[in-house]
Amino acid sequence: MGNLDRRIIYLLVVVALAYPLLEKWSIKPARMASADKFFTIVESLAPDKSLAFVALDFGPNTKAENSPQAEVVIEHLMRRRIPVILFSQYVLADPFLKSIPLKIKEKLEEEYQGQTWRYGFDWVNLGFRPGGGLIIQSIPKSKSLQEVFKVDANGTPLKELSIFKEDVPIEKISLLAEFTGLVGAFDTYVQFFQKADYRPVFGHGCTSITIPEAYIFLDSGQIKGLLEGIAGAAWYSQRLSQKYPNRGKDDALLINTGLGIAHLLLILLILVGNLGENIGHIKHKGGVG
Amino acid sequence: MDWHQMSILSGGVCTLAIFSFLIKENPFYRIFEHIFIGIASGLGAVMGVRYFLWPEIIKPMVGKDIIVFPDGTYSKPYDPLYLLYLFPLLFGLLYYFIYSKKYGWLAKIVIGFSLGASAGLAFKGFFAEMVPQLSSSFKQLVVFTEGSFDLYGTASNVVFVFTLLAVMYYFLFSFRGEGLAHKAISGSGRWLMMICFGAFFGSTVMARLALLVGADPVSTE
Repeated sequence: MGNLDRRIIYLLVVVALAYPLLEKWSIKPARMASADKFFTIVESLAPDKSLAFVALDFGPNTKAENSPQAEVVIEHLMRRRIPVILFSQYVLADPFLKSIPLKIKEKLEEEYQGQTWRYGFDWVNLGFRPGGGLIIQSIPKSKSLQEVFKVDANGTPLKELSIFKEDVPIEKISLLAEFTGLVGAFDTYVQFFQKADYRPVFGHGCTSITIPEAYIFLDSGQIKGLLEGIAGAAWYSQRLSQKYPNRGKDDALLINTGLGIAHLLLILLILVGNLGENIGHIKHKGGVG
Repeated sequence: MDWHQMSILSGGVCTLAIFSFLIKENPFYRIFEHIFIGIASGLGAVMGVRYFLWPEIIKPMVGKDIIVFPDGTYSKPYDPLYLLYLFPLLFGLLYYFIYSKKYGWLAKIVIGFSLGASAGLAFKGFFAEMVPQLSSSFKQLVVFTEGSFDLYGTASNVVFVFTLLAVMYYFLFSFRGEGLAHKAISGSGRWLMMICFGAFFGSTVMARLALLVGADPVSTE
């Protein structure tokens, strides 16, 4: 086993990952308690009084995990007609700010014939803004979001968009949802997206590698809901499908299945490798003795 | 072939070029590595100008954000106070004196300002982030839920508090501890950290596999 060419291992992992994706084969995901909490938070929002500020701070490097997370949460918000304000402090997120809501709009309009989801009414894209923590800090300090952002990603003045017809101070934001693999980007929201007397309910979607760190914030109550990597997105998707039975399959379930198969393969290889190594070691010792 | 198909194809070629490193180091990989670095740097600069410098600074400063209506009226009057942006703009440009031996000290003023501002932000951020975590680490060691003893909650809190204390004790280097109690607590702290690192490594493997899925344009398009 020790002499197994690493390229064969790569090939096996690729096959294990690719098969469910190519065959569109998915299995039921495991229940994730913190994803359930996130789902319940979105369910509890009142459509006529709530606004969601959704930050997509991810690029192509972590899109396999963060994009399905963002899709299921934004889909849930749009299904419930809760206006979504999209924003990013990560330059490579720019294409996702445009493509994700459009993809969901098409999906929903196909499912609900005759209904429409419109830019400006159901969602607004504030685009990427440089400045990191400085811009996040300026949100609670300003009178309203209009004062900080002025125009959307297309250069349209915010006052011309229905969501921003009235002033939107931080107190009007009921839900802050942030999806990223960057711990630094996430920290800026924990630290600065709040006032002394107001902090919106915070839900977070992290990549697998940052799960252990995200648990600290979940335990302390700084975040109320968490999507742990693709597994969290898959369970959220399952909850959505339970509530909306006509909803089709999505990427979260497919990727989760692929990852699950690949993990099983890795566990098998680790077990076989360790077993082979130990048997060889015992035989060698026995031979010498 | 349309733009969408071309983008998927070029994405596939780029991915294979980078993955070719798995076989061995090769010029194909090197070329694409440099292309990626160049694109990332260029994109960052363009986005900075497109989303910040032009719409937030230059456009209002030169009055380009004012719309002229067909009847000749303006959407808003020009505000000369926007010209004040020139001062921080010029101050920031002093950073480029870093390339001059004679005037390099000017860049140090900007660097000092940035360091001071960052330190202030970090100081404020530290308290906003850490204080809730510190207070949440004070947990009840015996938990009652709706009047009855909660075994799971109690066990969870006991493990949490013991782990916290054992790991903190392991990192106490101010005095030399001896005896069985010291070894037991310090050793437990080390073992608990090992378990934690194992979980970290497991989640790292999971993230790396997810990156591979992200490289597949068919699955996520």
